[in-house]
Amino acid sequence: MTAHTADFAVSCSREHSTGTKTLQGERQLNQFLAEVERRALRMAEIAVRDRDDALDLVQDAMIKLARNYAARPSTEWAPLFFRILQNGIRDWHRRQKVRNRVMVWFGRATSGDDDYDVTSNLPDPAGRTPDEQLQTNEAMQQLELAIQNLPNRQREAFMLRTFQGLDVAATATAMGCSDGSVKTHYSRAIHSLRDTLGEHWQ
Amino acid sequence: MNEPMDAKQKENERIVEKAKALFDDSVDSLDAATLSRLNQGRHRALAELQRASPVNPWLRWVPATGIAAAALLAVMVMRGPDGVDAIDGPVTASDFEMLLEEDSLDMLEELEFYFWLEASDLEANGNVG
Repeated sequence: MTAHTADFAVSCSREHSTGTKTLQGERQLNQFLAEVERRALRMAEIAVRDRDDALDLVQDAMIKLARNYAARPSTEWAPLFFRILQNGIRDWHRRQKVRNRVMVWFGRATSGDDDYDVTSNLPDPAGRTPDEQLQTNEAMQQLELAIQNLPNRQREAFMLRTFQGLDVAATATAMGCSDGSVKTHYSRAIHSLRDTLGEHWQ
Repeated sequence: MNEPMDAKQKENERIVEKAKALFDDSVDSLDAATLSRLNQGRHRALAELQRASPVNPWLRWVPATGIAAAALLAVMVMRGPDGVDAIDGPVTASDFEMLLEEDSLDMLEELEFYFWLEASDLEANGNVG
């Protein structure tokens, strides 16, 4: 084998190795996104009360994670992804406020609740009776309403800890605050939900 | 004393568990159209990985090579064609700055003309020969 052939072989081997790494990274990221996307969508939907907007927010978060943080260790993806998503949700609320001000100026204020029906897209794969399904849907509506009425930071802490199952440190990264703040927001959120839902959920 | 605290704690846990169960149920109940849109969004995100793949490593050397070439040209100009110092005095950083400016690079393109001009001046002053 000549020196040139050997160099070429080494070069091809490196390219193959890089290609394999890229493919492996892509598979890992695909698996991660597939695991979190549905929960992320429902969390975004509860926060913004609109499924289409929630889908856009989740897609934006997925794209930003892939574009900017795919090279980071996969253990960091969850807090980073939810941090991007929470930032997107906050921006969405800011835009809504501005939009509502403009609408008020033109005499067409929107409450943000229009046409939102949490039960409209929920077929029942568990095969429950219509009564059981209705009870579950009503309980979920009560829960969503109670969560929506929480202050933003309490809502974020509660959903990330309870629905996504992030630990305190990961939740702090996702929210961009200290561990202590997460504990405070989470505790206040639970107290508030207990006061609101306790009677309904006996 | 601890009884009301325990009761509150239990109530908190019950609320959290029920909320989680309801949320999980709503996640499992997402319709096919929504799941399809999530899938499309995920593939769009993964396509970003291809775009974000690193540039050819050789291209990273382009700026450094350009600066090195300009520095080499600068040295050649200062040394002159016969290896004799064409410019008297020490070479300062400002000289390099001047040479790396866009206008100066234009001047380097017409280097032959400037050499001819200098030779003509020397000849006119009778310093050659």
